[in-house]
Amino acid sequence: MSATKFEVIFCIVNSGFSDEVMDAARRFGAKGGTVIRARGTANPEAESLFGIAIQPEKEIVMILVNKKIKNDILHSLYSAVGLNTPGQGIAFSMPVESVVGLTVTDEIKAEGTADSEN
Amino acid sequence: MARITKSKAAPTRIKKREGMAAPDKAMLMFTVVNRSKADFYADIIQGFEVNMQLILHAQGTAGTEVLSLLGLNDSDRAVIISVIRRDRADEAMSTLEEKFRTVKGGKGIAYTVPMTSTIGVAIYQFLCNKTPGGIG
Repeated sequence: MSATKFEVIFCIVNSGFSDEVMDAARRFGAKGGTVIRARGTANPEAESLFGIAIQPEKEIVMILVNKKIKNDILHSLYSAVGLNTPGQGIAFSMPVESVVGLTVTDEIKAEGTADSEN
Repeated sequence: MARITKSKAAPTRIKKREGMAAPDKAMLMFTVVNRSKADFYADIIQGFEVNMQLILHAQGTAGTEVLSLLGLNDSDRAVIISVIRRDRADEAMSTLEEKFRTVKGGKGIAYTVPMTSTIGVAIYQFLCNKTPGGIG
């Protein structure tokens, strides 16, 4: 079990934008991710108040990354698929306490590393 | 001139009261595996006093052309989200690590994320598999 030098980034985007998320993340060293299909449940009142139509079909992209490159990737996601883009994405990270299943090469490779199973 | 001195006062000690231990922490364990192995891994995880698991259907993001060359065009994945007590998490992770290495087609990753709070005693007891009298 490797020590906790990883964080997991969750990026929730409109359906069909997961490729753009991965492109933005790979630019800074992420290796792979996992895409979960989901449905958004925005407050209809808030939607009309802010004049934003929320597309209910969403994709959640989970990317396990090295702590060192987490901020770069979050900034990259903000620019590429942030709320002001068609992807209307939000991204956040959570601390990871322990990880298993990464290959040694995944951990050594460059600064960033991600889901090796993909 | 300012002078930095070390305080020599003895640290105050807080007496632990009998039977007042803090409740065990819970973790979220994410396990990403091939979809065909989802139930297999969910059963293994359940053996570590896990009462609630969610299995989500997901896709891997690796380029399909590369995988096709290797004869692995199956990008269907399952994400198993389990709520596990912290004191059982290490053991569960070790078991999963071994299974990832040894089970054919069972490669995957698992990681744990700490949970900071939950609301409701019964919910806590259910999630952490604690008997009603067992909470400190």
